[in-house]
Amino acid sequence: MRAELRLALLLTRGSNRREWWRVVLTAIGAVMATGIGLVIMVLVPMTGHHDVGVGSGLLDEPGTRGGVIIALMLLLIPVFGFLGQCARIGAVHRDRRLAALRLAGATPAQVRRIAALETGPACLAGSSVTTVFSVLLLLRLWQRPAPWAWAGMAVVAVLVPVLGAAVSVLALRGVVASPLGRLRRVRPTAGPGRAFQVATGLLGLPAVLVAMTPLTGDPFEFGVVGFALGPLTVFALCLLVGASAVWLAGFSSRWLGRVLAARAQRPALLIAAERLYDDPWAASRTHGAVLLVTVVSTGFVGVRQTLLADLEASRRMGQLGMDMSYYTNGIELTAAAILVALAIVLTGLAVGTAESLATRRRGLATQHAAGVPHGVLARALLLETALPLACAVTVAGIGGMAIGVWYASLTTEHTVPDVPYAALLVPLAVYGACMLAAATALPLLRRSVRPAELRYA
Amino acid sequence: MNNGENAVPLLAARDLAKTHGRTQALRGASAELRAGEILAVTGASGSGKSTLLHCLAGIVRPDAGSVTYGGERLDRLPEKRLSGLRRGDFGVVFQFGQLIPELTALDNVALPLMLAGSSRGDAQARAGEWLERFGVRGQAGLRPGEMSGGQAQRTSLARALVTGPKVVFADEPTGALDSLASEQVMTALVHTARDSGTAVLLVTHDAQVAAYADREVRLSDGAVVPTGVTA
Amino acid sequence: MMLMSTRHVLLGLLVSGPSHGYDLKRRHDERFPQARPLAYGQVYTTLQRLVRDGLAEVDGTDADGGPERTMYRSTTEGSHELARWAGEIAPPAPFVTNEIFAKVVVSILSGGDPEAYLKAQRAAHMKRMRELTAVKTAKGADLSTLLSADYALNHLDADLRWMTTTAARLTTLTAEVDTA
Repeated sequence: MRAELRLALLLTRGSNRREWWRVVLTAIGAVMATGIGLVIMVLVPMTGHHDVGVGSGLLDEPGTRGGVIIALMLLLIPVFGFLGQCARIGAVHRDRRLAALRLAGATPAQVRRIAALETGPACLAGSSVTTVFSVLLLLRLWQRPAPWAWAGMAVVAVLVPVLGAAVSVLALRGVVASPLGRLRRVRPTAGPGRAFQVATGLLGLPAVLVAMTPLTGDPFEFGVVGFALGPLTVFALCLLVGASAVWLAGFSSRWLGRVLAARAQRPALLIAAERLYDDPWAASRTHGAVLLVTVVSTGFVGVRQTLLADLEASRRMGQLGMDMSYYTNGIELTAAAILVALAIVLTGLAVGTAESLATRRRGLATQHAAGVPHGVLARALLLETALPLACAVTVAGIGGMAIGVWYASLTTEHTVPDVPYAALLVPLAVYGACMLAAATALPLLRRSVRPAELRYA
Repeated sequence: MNNGENAVPLLAARDLAKTHGRTQALRGASAELRAGEILAVTGASGSGKSTLLHCLAGIVRPDAGSVTYGGERLDRLPEKRLSGLRRGDFGVVFQFGQLIPELTALDNVALPLMLAGSSRGDAQARAGEWLERFGVRGQAGLRPGEMSGGQAQRTSLARALVTGPKVVFADEPTGALDSLASEQVMTALVHTARDSGTAVLLVTHDAQVAAYADREVRLSDGAVVPTGVTA
Repeated sequence: MMLMSTRHVLLGLLVSGPSHGYDLKRRHDERFPQARPLAYGQVYTTLQRLVRDGLAEVDGTDADGGPERTMYRSTTEGSHELARWAGEIAPPAPFVTNEIFAKVVVSILSGGDPEAYLKAQRAAHMKRMRELTAVKTAKGADLSTLLSADYALNHLDADLRWMTTTAARLTTLTAEVDTA
């Protein structure tokens, strides 16, 4: 183990700036994951009424606390997506390096440990920092926290780095298997792996469960089981939507690529379309997360509009049990959570675009040397993001709209159902933000096409 | 082929110096290329051959010295003009990598024409003729990864020549090929260059490849080795 | 193709049918374009030796409007000998006479400039390689021309590689030769 540790250290120290980006971003992802995980762990063991100084009273009652827990669990989804994106930074380079280690005689187990040591410490750093600050904060807010909260926090603090290391080992299974590594560029043209298919299937189960609700009764009313089941079901449903979005993004990319490649007249469009057709799954993970956020946020804006109108009507009729701000605070908090999710997703998208550029930088430098103008390469890069997203965001927007309209049609108690048109702006805004995020990679393109890149043949 | 001493060189480099990080790739190298001439630049690995080619093709700006093309100082042109020049007047062939992996051979060759504003159909038609000329018409629908090294390099030649350039820059074009494929690629290059009067700057460490040229410039430690005999 | 196998090459040309000396020379030079052209005298001496050894015999004379020429044809024994020779492997260069190396060593011993010599020799080799390549790439060059040019090119290339590595090691070589 000492030898592996020393090698991992040497490799990290001798690696380029990209490797440091990966370490820093992974640590940031670990900070977010640990932070959210810790809050959930503190909230879950709480029973009955508490006076909590933060959260405008939403954390005081068990019911609203459950809602907050659900929201936090949902926030974990984009965080996971972000972490996955970080793991891909320099993946091709890392694959090659570990394959070289295997050629030099390292055993599969050694390579696995080195890979784990390259990611684990970054996650550990993120999780320790967060844990220390969270504990300090918790002790100020809550004099005698429940023992279960402590246990849960300990589990999260350990689990995040362990999971991070495990995922990085899993991602390198192809390299570990063969000393020749994956000499060709990683190109999963066949689509997501079997694990992903199984996961999608498993996620389908809660969907069936919810669909059965009218027959079996409300699963949310089974006491403790129901309490755990409720948030988990919503969490799983959102994961399902995300997974379906990945499939949708992948298939639509392939289809769009084929259609456009056959008809393209502009070089930038031709390059982008052929790239999409060739590797439609490349960006589907990030795009999946974007779609998930689009569905949720479009739906939310619709629901919010209806909800506020309904609340306003109830208030005028004097039927509100609590102060108006109690409800609006909850809504605004949800909005904030969605915005955070969007920010995480956009960062993931920017990282993904930058990574795809960095991987291809030698080829891009050669293209530029051969006279393909910078503008064409830049447009091709943006189109690669813009084309599949246009299709997918439209579908996601329609989905979100459907949720909003459905909700509006349900709450006819105090108001006339109103189509929440404002929600239509959300997909447009998300699309625009995505293009901006992708555009942040453009300065990197200028650096990538420098002739110095030609020197490493 | 040999336009004699009286001809004004098409492309000339004078006293080029270029440093990459801590290594000095060129120290006072000079070379000139006459119209329609095939010039071989040879030398050991690390002698500065590729950097000289990069400077002459306007891909890299030298730290000192001048590069003149058709009476213009290439080393002082703005990047936009240089890109345009590389698209029109120059063609480049490298050891590998100049073909876009996601595009078919046909689209790869059509790309420079599309960049120049041709419609896809016209560009593909002309690209097809060039593939024919290099004997890879049958591979038009394949992507670079699906072709043999020799076929890919002949496709690269077609891409470099499709715009009718005045100069083709070839950096170890046969570096990754076996001797038969190498012979086919070089013969195709020499024949086309002679037919169209295109000048070729050929960087190679292989004497048999250099022998396809009319003349040889030998580099050692970033400078030209004076040869007693001139061709 | 080399001098020592002239008799076998001529015998080989005879196997395809009776032929006279001038015709054999013409066909030889056509078939092996990059080899040294055969001298008439050499063709006739070789033919006479073949007859003496019983590998060929005189087939009569042919005037064909011009001067009278002796026609030769291969014997059965000649065909056997040819088959034996063609199947026999050529010894892989047992003793290479390396004139270039000898010149380099002598140049060091006599206080000359081996580096300048190698440079000039290299230029001469390159010039010859360019000529051969030009022959090879000329439009309409047939495969025989191409293959024999290739043979010569590869040998010149081998010399050239050797000269390049030797030039890089001249200092060490000089020290070794001088102390010996």
